[in-house]
Amino acid sequence: MKKKSIGQFLSESREISLVVVLVILLVVIGIINPSFLSFTNIRQIFLNNTLTFLMALGMLCVMLTAGIDISITSTLAFAGMSIGLLQKYDVIHNTFLLFVIGMLIGIVCGFLNGLIISKGKVAPIICTMGFMYIWRGMAYVISNNNWASGMDVAGFSDFGKDGAPGPYIILVIAYIIFFIVMKWTRFGRKIYAVGSNTEAARVSGINVDRTLISVYTIMGFLAGLAGVLSVSIYASAQPNMQYGKEMDVIAACVIGGVSMSGGRGSVVGTFLGALIIAIISKALPMINVPNFWQNLIKGIIILAVVLLNVITQRTMERQNLLRREM
Amino acid sequence: MAGKSGREISAVPENGLKSKILSWEGALVLILIAVNILGVSISPNYTANNVFREMPRYLAETFMLFGMGYILVLGDIDISVGALVCLSGTIAVLASNAGAPFILTVLICLLVGLLGGMLNGIIATKFTELPTMIVTLGTQIIFRGIAEVLFETWGNGGGTASMADTKGLMLLAKRIGPFPIAFFCVIIVGAVMITILAKTTFGRKIYAIGSNKTAAYYAGIEVERIRFICYSILGLLAGVCALFLLTATFGSNTTTGQGFEMEVIAMCVFGGIATTGGKGNLIGGFIAAFIIVCLRIALGQRNINTQLILVIIGLMLIVSVLVPSISSALAARKKKRSA
Amino acid sequence: MKRKLLSVLMTAAVCASLMAGCAAAGTAAPAADAAPAKEAAAEEAEAPAEEAADAEAPAADASGATYALVTKSAGNPFMERMASGFQEAIEGAGGTVVIQNPESATPDAQIPVIQSLISQGVSSIAVDGNDANALSAVLAEAKDAGIKILTLDSDVAPDSRTVYCNQAGVQQIGQTLMDAVYDLTGGEGQYAILSATSQATNQNAWIDAMKAISEADSKYAKIELVEVAYGDDEPQKSTDQTQALLQNYPDLKVICAPTTVGIAAAAKVLQDQGSSVKLTGLGLPSEMAEYIGDDDAHSCPYMYLWNPIDLGRLAGYTSMALVDGSITGAAGDSFTAGDLGDYTIEEIDGSTQIILGPPFKFDPSNIDDWKTVY
Repeated sequence: MKKKSIGQFLSESREISLVVVLVILLVVIGIINPSFLSFTNIRQIFLNNTLTFLMALGMLCVMLTAGIDISITSTLAFAGMSIGLLQKYDVIHNTFLLFVIGMLIGIVCGFLNGLIISKGKVAPIICTMGFMYIWRGMAYVISNNNWASGMDVAGFSDFGKDGAPGPYIILVIAYIIFFIVMKWTRFGRKIYAVGSNTEAARVSGINVDRTLISVYTIMGFLAGLAGVLSVSIYASAQPNMQYGKEMDVIAACVIGGVSMSGGRGSVVGTFLGALIIAIISKALPMINVPNFWQNLIKGIIILAVVLLNVITQRTMERQNLLRREM
Repeated sequence: MAGKSGREISAVPENGLKSKILSWEGALVLILIAVNILGVSISPNYTANNVFREMPRYLAETFMLFGMGYILVLGDIDISVGALVCLSGTIAVLASNAGAPFILTVLICLLVGLLGGMLNGIIATKFTELPTMIVTLGTQIIFRGIAEVLFETWGNGGGTASMADTKGLMLLAKRIGPFPIAFFCVIIVGAVMITILAKTTFGRKIYAIGSNKTAAYYAGIEVERIRFICYSILGLLAGVCALFLLTATFGSNTTTGQGFEMEVIAMCVFGGIATTGGKGNLIGGFIAAFIIVCLRIALGQRNINTQLILVIIGLMLIVSVLVPSISSALAARKKKRSA
Repeated sequence: MKRKLLSVLMTAAVCASLMAGCAAAGTAAPAADAAPAKEAAAEEAEAPAEEAADAEAPAADASGATYALVTKSAGNPFMERMASGFQEAIEGAGGTVVIQNPESATPDAQIPVIQSLISQGVSSIAVDGNDANALSAVLAEAKDAGIKILTLDSDVAPDSRTVYCNQAGVQQIGQTLMDAVYDLTGGEGQYAILSATSQATNQNAWIDAMKAISEADSKYAKIELVEVAYGDDEPQKSTDQTQALLQNYPDLKVICAPTTVGIAAAAKVLQDQGSSVKLTGLGLPSEMAEYIGDDDAHSCPYMYLWNPIDLGRLAGYTSMALVDGSITGAAGDSFTAGDLGDYTIEEIDGSTQIILGPPFKFDPSNIDDWKTVY
C-alpha cells in the first residue's frame, strides 16, 4: 500500500516528479564528479544558460496559447548583432541605451509575429519559420561579414562578466514577475483561457487577438533582451549566434510540463525544465562523456523524461479512475 | 473537400479553366514561369543545361517533400528528417567502406531511413498524448548523435566519413540528355505519391484523420496504423534523399542534412499545405519546390548574398500564407462598401 | 471575377518586386557582382592603362577572365579579410572577381555555390574547403569544364585541385604551437586543446601534428595532453567546454586553442575567473586584443596567426598564374606574387602546396598595431 501512495504522490504533481528527476541527475553527476556541485559551477550553470532560462519564460506564454515560436534565436541574433555593430562603429556606448535598443528590436520582431499570427490567421510555426529565415539573414546582411569583438564591446561586456551580478538579477526579477503575472493577474488568466479554449475565451469577452499579439511581443522582448545579454556574456556578436538553440528552449518547456496544445504549464515547471537542460549540457563534458557521445545522451535523456511524463500521467489517470470506481 | 488546396485565393470554387488558373496551384505555376523569366533576364547563364546541371543537390531534398506532405496533411510534423538523412548517409558510407557492394549500400541507406521513420512512427502512435514535434525533436538529436558516435568509431577521423568506392554513385549522378537521373526519380516518386494521396482510399483516410482525428477513428479508420505508415514512408524518403545527396558529396559529416526539415516544411507550406492538417495537395508542394530551386539557381548565378536569398524565401513564405487572409479581408471590405 | 484576377496579379507582383529588389541589391553590392566572361571582353580596352599604372606587377594582364573565391561561410571576419586580399590582387591586375560566401560552414552549402560558378563560366575557383572529400565530385565537374581549381586556408583531397595555398606548413604550425605550450608550461605539466568542429580538416591536421611532435621528441616527455575538446566554433559551447576543462583538470597549466572563436571564448573565461591557466593558439588580433598581455590580468601571453589578407592575395596571384599558364601546378614551378615576392610550388607529403610563410606571433608589444588591421 505504501509503495502505491508514493507513486500517487509522484504522479500527482508534475513539478514534484521533475524535482525527483533533478535530484537523481544531481546525485549521479555528483558521485562521478563532486566538483560539479561546487558554488562556482552552479553559478556558471545559470550564467551560461541565462538565455535559455529567459526565453523559456516567453516560450511558456506562447505555448500556453497553443502556439510556438521558432524565430527567437534569429531575433536574438538580429538584436545582438545590431547592438554589437552600434558599438563597433562607435555610435553608442551607453549600456542602458543599448539594452533599450536591443529590447525594442525584439519587441518589433515579436509584434510582427503576433500581428501576422492573430490578424492574418497564419499557423504560428509557419509565420515564425518565415521570420526565422528573415531575421537570421538580416543579421548576416547587416554584419557584412564582421563580428563585434571583445575590444569593441569592452565596458558593455562588464555587465555580463563571470562574477558580475547583472544577469542573475535579470533572471530572478524575470522569474518573479512571470510567476506573479501568470498566477495572480487577469492577463495571466487570459493567456491560459485563450490556450485552453479559444472559442470559449472569445465568447466570454476576451480579446483573443490582442492577447496573442501581447504574448508574441513578450516573447520577442525576451529574445531581444537575450540578444543583448548574449553579447554581454560572451563579449562578442556574431551573426550565427545561438543558431538552432530555439529547440533547446522548446525542449526545456516541454520537459517542464508545458503542453504544446495549450492551456497547461507553469512558471515553476518551466524553470525546472530549463534547469534540467542546463545541467545536462554542463555536466556531460564534466563527467568525461566523450565529445561524440554528448548529443546522443542528451537526446536520450530528453526523450526519456518526456516519455516518463506521459507514463506517469497515464498511471495517474488510471488511479483516478480506480478511485472513482471504489 | 479532400485534395483541395489549403489556400484559396477566391472564396467560390468553380470549375473550368478560369478557376484552375485562379487556384493556388495556378498561381504557383504563374510564379514558376515568372521566376524562370526572371532567371533568363538577369543571368545569361540561366540555360536549361545549366539549370539541370545545378539541380541535383536541391532535388535530393525534394524527395522528402512528398512524405512531409503526408505528415502535414495528417496534422503532424516531423523535424527529425534532416538528422535521419545524416544517419542513413553515414551508415551507407560506412557499409560501403566495409566492403558492401553498391546495391547493398543502396539498400542499407534506404533501410536505415525506413527504420528511423518507423521508430518515429512507433513513438508517435504509442504515445499519442505527445505532440509529434516533441517526439521528433528527441529523435532528431538521437539520430545525429548516433551518426556522431559512428564517425568517432569508424569515420575518416573527426566528424566525417567519405566513400572510397564511388563508381556506383557516379553512375547515379549521370545525366540522360540534359536531365539528371535524380530528376526522373523525383518525377516518378512524385507522381506515385501524388496519386496515392489524391486518388486512393488510403489518401482519403489521411485527409479524414487530418480534418478530424476523433471522427475518423469513429468512422472506423485505423488512425494509428495509417500514421505509422506515413512516418515510415517519410523515413524511407529520407533514405532516398541521403542516397542522392551522397551522389553529390561522396560522403557524410556531422552537418549533413542540417536544416533540411525546415526547408522541406517551407516548400510544403508554400505549396498550399496547411500545417493544421486535412488541407492541401502535393501538386502545389511539387511546383513550389521547383520555384524555390529555380529561384535559388537564378539568384545564385547573379552571386547574390546567400543569406539574402534566405531572407527572400522567408518573405515569400509569409506573403504566401497571408494571401488568403488579405484577399478575404479585401472581399469583406468591398462587401461592406457595396452594402 | 476582377477581384480574383487582382489577387493573383498581386501575388505575382509581390514576388516579382521582391526579386527585382534583390536583383538591384546584387548590382549594388560591389564584391558580389560579376560581369560574365563575355561582357568582360568589352573591358579589355581599359586594361592596358591599368597595367601601365601597376607596372611593378609582372603577371599583370588578367582582364577578360573571372576569378572566383569560395569562402568557408558568410559572417566570418577572417574570411572577409581573406576575400579583400584576393580581390585586391586580382582587381589590381584588371581581372574580374566573384566572391561567394556560402550560407553556412558546411560542404553541402559550398556545392551549389561552386555549381553556380561553373554555370557562370569563371576561369578559376579558389576554395576554402569545409570538408576534405565532400567537394570532390563538384570540383571534378569544374575541372572538366576547364576551370582551374586551387584551395587556400583549408585543403580538399589533393587530386581534386591543382595547388593548395597553405598559410603555413602543418608541421610548422604544429611545431610552433607545441613550442608555445612547452614555453608556457615551463617544460612540464598538463595542457588541453580546444578545437573547433570535429570535422575541420586543418584543425585535425594541426592537432595530429602536435601529437606526433610531442611523441617524437623527448623534450616534450613531461608535457601531457589531457583532452581535445570541441567547441564547435560556438561561443556558448566553447565556454562550457573551457569551464569543464578547468574543473576536470585542476592541475591544468595551458589551453591551446587553434581556432579563432574558441580562443576568444576561452580567453574570456580564463580572464573573468582570474585563472592561472595560460592560453595560446591561433586567433584574430581584433578579437583577442582585450586578452593579450604578460601580467596576470590577461589570460593570453601570446598567440599566432598568419595574415589573412596576404593569404587571399597569394591565392589571387596563384589563380592568375594558373589561368594565364605561367604555372601548371607541378612541383618546382615558381612565379612572382606581386609585392609578396617569389613563390615556388613545393611537394609536401605527396601534395602540391605553396606556403605563405611562418605563422606570425602576436604579443603585447605588437597587438596594438594589428588589432585594427584584422
